[in-house]
Amino acid sequence: MAGSDDRAVLRRARGLGSAKSGVRHWWWQRVTAVALVPLTVWMLVLLLATAGEGRRALMVWLGNPAVSVLTVMFVVMMAWHMVLGLTVIAEDYLHHEGVKFAAITLIQVGGVIVGVAGVISVLWLALGGTQ
Amino acid sequence: MTERTRPRSPHVQIYRPQLTSVLSFTHRLSGIALSVGGVILVVWLLLAAAGGSAFGGLNAALGSWFGRLLLFLWTFALFFHLCNGIRHLFWDAVLGFELANIYRSGWLVVVASTVLTVLTWVIAMSMPGVA
Amino acid sequence: MIIRRSEEQPRWTLLRRFPVPRGFHAASRSRVQAGREWPAPEGAGNVKRMQVYRYDPEGDERPRVDTFHVDLDECGPMLLDALIKIKNQIDPTLTFRRSCREGVCGSCAMNINGTNWLACTRALDELDDPVTVYPLNNLDVIKDLVGDQSHAFAQYAAIRPWLRASPPPKDRERLQSPEQRRELDGYYECILCFCCTSGCPSHWWNGDRFLGPAVLLQAWRWLADSRDEATGERLDELEDPFRLYRCHTILNCTRTCPKGLNPGKAIAEIKRKLLERQG
Repeated sequence: MAGSDDRAVLRRARGLGSAKSGVRHWWWQRVTAVALVPLTVWMLVLLLATAGEGRRALMVWLGNPAVSVLTVMFVVMMAWHMVLGLTVIAEDYLHHEGVKFAAITLIQVGGVIVGVAGVISVLWLALGGTQ
Repeated sequence: MTERTRPRSPHVQIYRPQLTSVLSFTHRLSGIALSVGGVILVVWLLLAAAGGSAFGGLNAALGSWFGRLLLFLWTFALFFHLCNGIRHLFWDAVLGFELANIYRSGWLVVVASTVLTVLTWVIAMSMPGVA
Repeated sequence: MIIRRSEEQPRWTLLRRFPVPRGFHAASRSRVQAGREWPAPEGAGNVKRMQVYRYDPEGDERPRVDTFHVDLDECGPMLLDALIKIKNQIDPTLTFRRSCREGVCGSCAMNINGTNWLACTRALDELDDPVTVYPLNNLDVIKDLVGDQSHAFAQYAAIRPWLRASPPPKDRERLQSPEQRRELDGYYECILCFCCTSGCPSHWWNGDRFLGPAVLLQAWRWLADSRDEATGERLDELEDPFRLYRCHTILNCTRTCPKGLNPGKAIAEIKRKLLERQG
């Protein structure tokens, strides 16, 4: 094979060079994961305790500040972990730059909406809710 | 020399499924399922906070046989993602990379997530509000 | 079941391949067709079927799978022996790479019964019938079992896999203590057969940018070398969402390495080093 071909192949392998980033994404995925281990167990307890009991039971539980704090933390960590995870999946499988950009934007906006809606709902219920 | 475009040798079409790749794929799939579940959870909280009749409607839907099937699958997805996530955290600490341990922890995740799912549903079905 | 060493074959099979269509994620030119049968000679007793991927750039529009019926009583013990027998006695056009026939050159790496291994160190009696033989995965096929590995080697070259250090004092060698030398164990033995990289799903989807397990193991081999002075530079070159962080610790690499090495662990070491310098 001619030398120029080797150069082209090497040039392609080098690509645009290193982005010199990635640690942070990786690190926050792990931080949220660690936080979610106890918080998920907590959330399951809450859901089991209020399963089928209706809205009143939920409001009574969330009326306790410790309960609402843990639940808010769960919602925030979940939304964040979800955004980080889904972003990786989009980067893995979507190879059209435009489609990938749109998907990741959608994931991030969606994550913010999920987080904000979840936090406000929990606080609303904790503070007495709509009568 | 003109060359015709070469075929690409097959990969996912022929590569043998192994515990390594199957659990990794399941981790990703359960993550996607849990993202959908997380959105439903926030919608559930939102409807509870809003206090309208829609909350009862969503509860009824989740209480139907199909709703319960989904909840069961989400429970498994949750425990699988949780257990396998902890397995990943050990790897991130560069622990448990001996091949035998990769397999031991893998099977442990499969067994643990199944047992925890069944256990959770035994508890859930025995709650007073659920029948 | 628990697999203890990468050379172990599973004792039972639930699925031989993932339940995806044969043509899934493959351009039409890459879809494999049925090929021809090459029957065993009259009177052959101990016959094994070998389904071998074939592609002739001068004849075939598309690759095909030929079935060779090989008489094992008249054949050496290894898969490579069977391939050589086919080439010598059945179809001389069968093309594959081989050299050392003892697992040190890495030339005869191929996909055997669904996983990657060296044909020279895989015994025929360990392989279920029919034996399927494909080139290493996700390579442009030059002919039959020979794939174009230029990109994989270019990725290797891109990490500049050599000692980067200032010249030693004129009257001394570059010394390394036995402990420092031991840090390279499990990494220096890599023969660059690319079994792991070819078996890595992340490399299938993003191989243009993701360096893959073989190259990342080599990257760690140089990061772990006490004589190397370019640690920071090397980490800079690796810290990238695609070059390094496409590794999702699937660990097909560690499962398949024919030298029993642990690319997955090497990559985890790199990630830990990158974290270490953050805080």
